[in-house]
Amino acid sequence: MPGVSIRGLTKRYGDVAAVEGLELDVAPGELVALLGPSGCGKTTTLRLVAGFLAPEAGEIHVGDRVLSSAASVVPPERRKMAMIFQSYALWPHMTVAQNVAYGLRFGRRVDAAERDRRVREILGAVQLAGYERRYPGELSGGQQQRVAVARALVVEPEILLLDEPLSNLDANLREEMRFEIRRLHEAFGITTLYVTHDQAEAMVISDRIAVLDRGRVVQVGTAADLFERPRTRFVAQFIGRTNLVDGVVAEPGVVVREGLRLRVAAADAKPGATVAVSIRPHTITLLAEGVRPAGGDVNLLRGTVRRASYLGAGVDYEVDVDEGNVTLRIAAPPPASLAPGARVGLAVPVEACLPLPNA
Amino acid sequence: MERSLPVWLLAALLVALLILLPLAWLVVLSLSTGAGAGLGSYRAALTDPQLGKALWNTIVLAFWVGAFSLAIGAPMAWLTARTDLPGKRTIRALMLASFVTPPFLGAFAWVMLAGPNAGLLNKLYREVTGAQEPLLNIFSMPGLIFAVTLYTFPYVFIMIANTLELIASDLEEAAAILGARRVTVALTVTLPMVAPAIASGFILAVLQALALFGSPAILALPAGFHTITTQIWSYFQYPPKVELAAAASMPLLVATALLLWLQKRLLGRRGYASVGGKTGQRRGIALGAWRWPAFAGCLAVMACSIFLPYGVLAKAALSRAWAQPLSWDNFTLANVWFTFWQYSATQSAVVNTLELGVMTATVGALMAAVLAYTVNRRLVPGAQFLPFLVLAPVVIPGVVLAVGLFIAYTRPPLVLYGTLWILFAAYLTKELPVGYSQSDATFRGVHTDLEEAGRILGAGRLRVLREITAPLARSGIIATWCFIFIGVIRELSASIILFTPATKVISVVIFDLKEEGQFGAIAVLGLFMLLVTFATVTLMQALLGRDVLGVRE
Repeated sequence: MPGVSIRGLTKRYGDVAAVEGLELDVAPGELVALLGPSGCGKTTTLRLVAGFLAPEAGEIHVGDRVLSSAASVVPPERRKMAMIFQSYALWPHMTVAQNVAYGLRFGRRVDAAERDRRVREILGAVQLAGYERRYPGELSGGQQQRVAVARALVVEPEILLLDEPLSNLDANLREEMRFEIRRLHEAFGITTLYVTHDQAEAMVISDRIAVLDRGRVVQVGTAADLFERPRTRFVAQFIGRTNLVDGVVAEPGVVVREGLRLRVAAADAKPGATVAVSIRPHTITLLAEGVRPAGGDVNLLRGTVRRASYLGAGVDYEVDVDEGNVTLRIAAPPPASLAPGARVGLAVPVEACLPLPNA
Repeated sequence: MERSLPVWLLAALLVALLILLPLAWLVVLSLSTGAGAGLGSYRAALTDPQLGKALWNTIVLAFWVGAFSLAIGAPMAWLTARTDLPGKRTIRALMLASFVTPPFLGAFAWVMLAGPNAGLLNKLYREVTGAQEPLLNIFSMPGLIFAVTLYTFPYVFIMIANTLELIASDLEEAAAILGARRVTVALTVTLPMVAPAIASGFILAVLQALALFGSPAILALPAGFHTITTQIWSYFQYPPKVELAAAASMPLLVATALLLWLQKRLLGRRGYASVGGKTGQRRGIALGAWRWPAFAGCLAVMACSIFLPYGVLAKAALSRAWAQPLSWDNFTLANVWFTFWQYSATQSAVVNTLELGVMTATVGALMAAVLAYTVNRRLVPGAQFLPFLVLAPVVIPGVVLAVGLFIAYTRPPLVLYGTLWILFAAYLTKELPVGYSQSDATFRGVHTDLEEAGRILGAGRLRVLREITAPLARSGIIATWCFIFIGVIRELSASIILFTPATKVISVVIFDLKEEGQFGAIAVLGLFMLLVTFATVTLMQALLGRDVLGVRE
């Protein structure tokens, strides 16, 4: 089973670069999610990998084969890949069995009996046994989705590509299908690229996530890497909710903003550099006035509650900090004991304050 | 890179040749005089006082046809699209009938209805009132405008009705909830959204009137005046003055091109973009006491367009003397017998027409499909410019196209004049825009995901085309075939210039029969033509599973 290696990939539409110098490595058998806001180039990247688009520069390798380069592009039909489309792209004039069996006609020859066996087997695996003779129009959205999955998996592709396959399903079904796709990936172990704009989906499904912004990969890592150690302001904002405090590095490990001094996690930012300090709402502890923090290395701030929203599993506070003209969001455990106007202390662990370059 | 490239490239080149050759010759010949290149033909044409009069007549005709088509088509569109008018399906069906009726047949029928001497309506009027003078004279400019409008207003109707159907009621309700009264809503929301369709419908009607040959030939010539199309045709009567015809074609060509450009601009700026119409229901406006009067008004229009003309055609076909009252004594099948078995030209014309119809429709539908596919999937470099070329014949009125083809194919390397092939080339060129638009819509409907899903699983482009795209596009392509077929069997304005005694088609025979005053035979052939047309339309409706004029299921 080969992996995918993308080097300096560039695709322009007129003057606009949809993908620019993109670098990414997918290990054999790994599932990597391409995550980013709309227009970040994730779908373009996927279509470049599929061979539907030709790059202006850069290369796409699968194993030791060069599939795409500016000079030549292997057509999609000779890439040994399979793809699941956002629209499912089930052929309405073919039955479920015909749809699934279609890809078995190409590549290695498969006789009729073997073909039927494999179709039945894969439909069983996606829990659609008995639906062979139905037409796509007679199936629900979730069932169509499973047919699309079966059609892609039955050909045992070297690489599997998924383009926002769950975005047309309703919320409950979408959550269910996330686990289903992860289960199938663990069962089949196919090298997979998964495009999505939904960070929760990417976190559940993938081994690693590549965050894309304006046609480039800004950070690759596991869900925990990205959440706990974002490298840029963009990643910190895109993966989970966070507070961003803009300031200037005063000395190593200290960022100031107007009257506010924050000790931050060790970072190699030079004094004088402008940074954004990311503080996750759940890392901040609220203290009644006059109470000392329980211990550990923390920044102790004071402020006034501006808003409190009870969310059931927690309380979402907005607190105006006394110094620095900063408002912080805080996720606190229930009950909602503080009303707007209340004076509070905030314990912000130094390790939770991540200074990020302002890019 | 793309292995199927030669296929698409060849198709594109073929179309370029088909369309550009006659146009190029038209320009070249209009610029040549007996002695060499020059503007002599233009000078001769433009200083010909007769041509000047013909041009003026054409402008008068086109303007009033546009205005009246709007006056009739717009209210009917609103009534059928937005109100609780009774019998909407019937009105739409009749509208379709009027749309596919060849205008020259309608003109013939109205000669029998409103000719000054024998016209049935005039006879009725004289009997009732005892007057000596006829009430109506169809052989006049007002008569011509009337007879042309009857078969042109459906264009306006279709444009406006389809736009109205796409405007969801919630757009109007949004204005109403903010406090706008019904009239204000209509003026500030509905009308501005329909305005491009109204303007474009008007232009479409004007274009139809400009290019029409049959109705002016039947109604204007006996009245002693020409329009530009009949004038060009007259240049082809012995002795032919081809250069003059070429030069006289230019104003018509330019006017058509300008009007179409204007229409495109009108539609392009706001047009349908604001009319998303994905969601939204449309709730009918209650007409109250006006329901039945409105319905009667619509029926009255359709009576002039369909009931009366079809009735008089049927009567003429089955009577010994068409002007005499209906009675058993007057009943006969002799006209049918005469038309098909005694009149020498008919049989070969029927064969020619059907042959050309089938051939053009088959080649045209395939060609349109290949071109639309090429453009939609951007298979050749510069594919985005191909539609301009393919749609270019829209700006070429049939008579002008015929002049170009006549010049192009009466000389080497391709001498096609005198064969069916020149008619084939004319029909193919003329119908290509219609066919292309239909095919384009068809392929837009086949999502590229469906093809790419096949590609990524291992099927090549041509295989995907055969196994996935073609089956999905099939009914659309057959509908295109029907559209072209209907267009061909009724074609008159190019045929009248390109036919020779061996290559007559039905419409030309009808025209000949008019010269001989054989009204019974005309009626028989006309009804035959309508029969074939309606059979084709029915087939097409069944295939598309919807109203061919409509936009939604």
